[in-house]
Amino acid sequence: MKKTLVHFELLLGREVHDSAGKRVGRILSVTAEREGGDCVIREYLLGPAALLRRLGITTLRLVGFKHREPLRVPWDQLDLSDPKKPCLRCRADELPK
Amino acid sequence: MNMKKATQLALGIVTAVGGFFDAGNLATSAQAGASFRFQLVWSLLLGTLLVIFLVEMSGRFAAVTRKALPDAIREHFGFTAWLVPFLVLTLVHFLVLASEIGGICFALHLVTGLPPAVWALPVAVLTWLFLWRSTFGTIENSTSLLGLLTLAFVVAAVRHHPPTGELLAGMLPSLPHHDPAKYWFIAVSILGSVIAPYLFYFYSSGAVEDEWDPSYVNVNRGIAFVGMGFGSLIALGAIVVAAVVLAPRGIEVNDYHQAAMMLTDAFPFWGFVLFAAAMAIACLGAGIEVALAMAYTTAQTFGWNWGEDLDPREDARFCMVYTAAILVSSLLILFGIDPLKLTLVTMAINAAVLPFVAIPFLLIMNDRKLLKEHANGWISNSVAAFLLVLALVLAVVSIPLVIMGGS
Amino acid sequence: MKTMDLVRDVLDKQVVDRDETKMGRVDGLLLEIRPGQPPRIEAIDMGFVVLARRIHPRLEAWLERLRRRFGVSSIRKTARYRVPWSAVKDVNPFCVQLDVAALDTPAFDWERWLRDHVVAHVPGVDS
Repeated sequence: MKKTLVHFELLLGREVHDSAGKRVGRILSVTAEREGGDCVIREYLLGPAALLRRLGITTLRLVGFKHREPLRVPWDQLDLSDPKKPCLRCRADELPK
Repeated sequence: MNMKKATQLALGIVTAVGGFFDAGNLATSAQAGASFRFQLVWSLLLGTLLVIFLVEMSGRFAAVTRKALPDAIREHFGFTAWLVPFLVLTLVHFLVLASEIGGICFALHLVTGLPPAVWALPVAVLTWLFLWRSTFGTIENSTSLLGLLTLAFVVAAVRHHPPTGELLAGMLPSLPHHDPAKYWFIAVSILGSVIAPYLFYFYSSGAVEDEWDPSYVNVNRGIAFVGMGFGSLIALGAIVVAAVVLAPRGIEVNDYHQAAMMLTDAFPFWGFVLFAAAMAIACLGAGIEVALAMAYTTAQTFGWNWGEDLDPREDARFCMVYTAAILVSSLLILFGIDPLKLTLVTMAINAAVLPFVAIPFLLIMNDRKLLKEHANGWISNSVAAFLLVLALVLAVVSIPLVIMGGS
Repeated sequence: MKTMDLVRDVLDKQVVDRDETKMGRVDGLLLEIRPGQPPRIEAIDMGFVVLARRIHPRLEAWLERLRRRFGVSSIRKTARYRVPWSAVKDVNPFCVQLDVAALDTPAFDWERWLRDHVVAHVPGVDS
């Protein structure tokens, strides 16, 4: 079987829609884990909070940004069959909190 | 503090002094003093305060993370976010390098009488040869020690006994009595010449070349404050000399020739040659730093092997960047562009692109995951935030000012 | 490092070889999507065309055409250098280390060519 390959760098910044077609946010951060010799994806982090988390900025809170947790999408909830239009397999409010 | 750190501190200060004063500082100081006497000293002081903090931050960043700024910025913000600042800064560095080469050529023209364009290629080859043959240490030592020649401006300033009251009054911003467009153009150009973007990329890469570690945070602070402060004293000297020597005679510096008379009152016999020598050395030192800053930035952006201590065979691409940069920018002088006009406009452009320097700086210096307890405190952040606001204002006003006041 | 942020800790990171020679950056990452299993990193991509694609897909196509037209292929055989993730020795806050020798890889094609054809001919460089 041919492997399904996706360019990770092109996923970044892409807007994600949920199963109802509602916009959820952009993919701005992705967590992964080492598993034996492999490196596998765990979660996709969406929204501006994901960007701030990635940049390690906490000071922006001082100037009025509320500290929010990014929206976390577990790997099995993101459908990448069309990498240009990633979408959730569920509705945004059904994501595990 | 051990011996090595003490030497580094002394050396760093001398380097900072030597590398600070360049074609941009000379041109803007001479113009400011000749046209507005001491009235624009505030702009120099403001620029100095900001550059001290920024140089301190870039050195601290390199000492703590062992990464130079361009390296860290690409890793941190990603290639696509860094691409535009990288291209813009490369273009600006190219103009700055041409200004420095133009400065050396003009100094040689003063002494020999041959037109500056004739000197363009010999100067390019000389500058290149210096970079090709030497290690980072020799560059630091030789240019900085020779750079102390620029202290002649400070000595001359003291000999002229400038009016203290007027000098102190110039430290506070005031509105001009004549030529407002020119006044603000020079004010902006002074800021651009003092807060020159190449300084930060060069300084942080240099800290990595010198293998600084977190124990250098205090050494770095000393170098930034004393070195940059002292360097700005030379620029202040040049303003004072221009104000005392050129302004009363109604000489406005529209041409480096007029600036060349600056030291002849204080040093009747040697003044002219001293000016040419100081100018050549200051521009050579800065030109080498700019060319290296370009090579560091490019190599780090693409992850190539880099380092001035490596043999050119080990980092061929790095060496090719400065080689090409020097060659291409010398062409501007070869084609007869006026070095002074080029320098003044370039300094205003320097000021215009400051947001590209300030924004990544402010963000990266607050990354506590990277810098931990060495992340910016509230003082540095207030200064950086102020710089950001100032940079945004400058980005808007500099280019219109070039058109209105630059000619 | 067990858990990592792929954007922060891997993408755009400095790549070094086993002797810590800097050989490029993680310009792109290739994911393998597997049914019923989490996506895994298949390979690291390095090279100008990979960067061009991040700016705009059309720029990549244009660069490819340019490359074919002006046959620099004698210097650089492939426009991208793809390293399987299995060659990654270490991912640390400082760099991504590969278990290869930089000089033998396509990442050093230009470096090698410049060294042999330009640097070697500069007077004063002993060969």
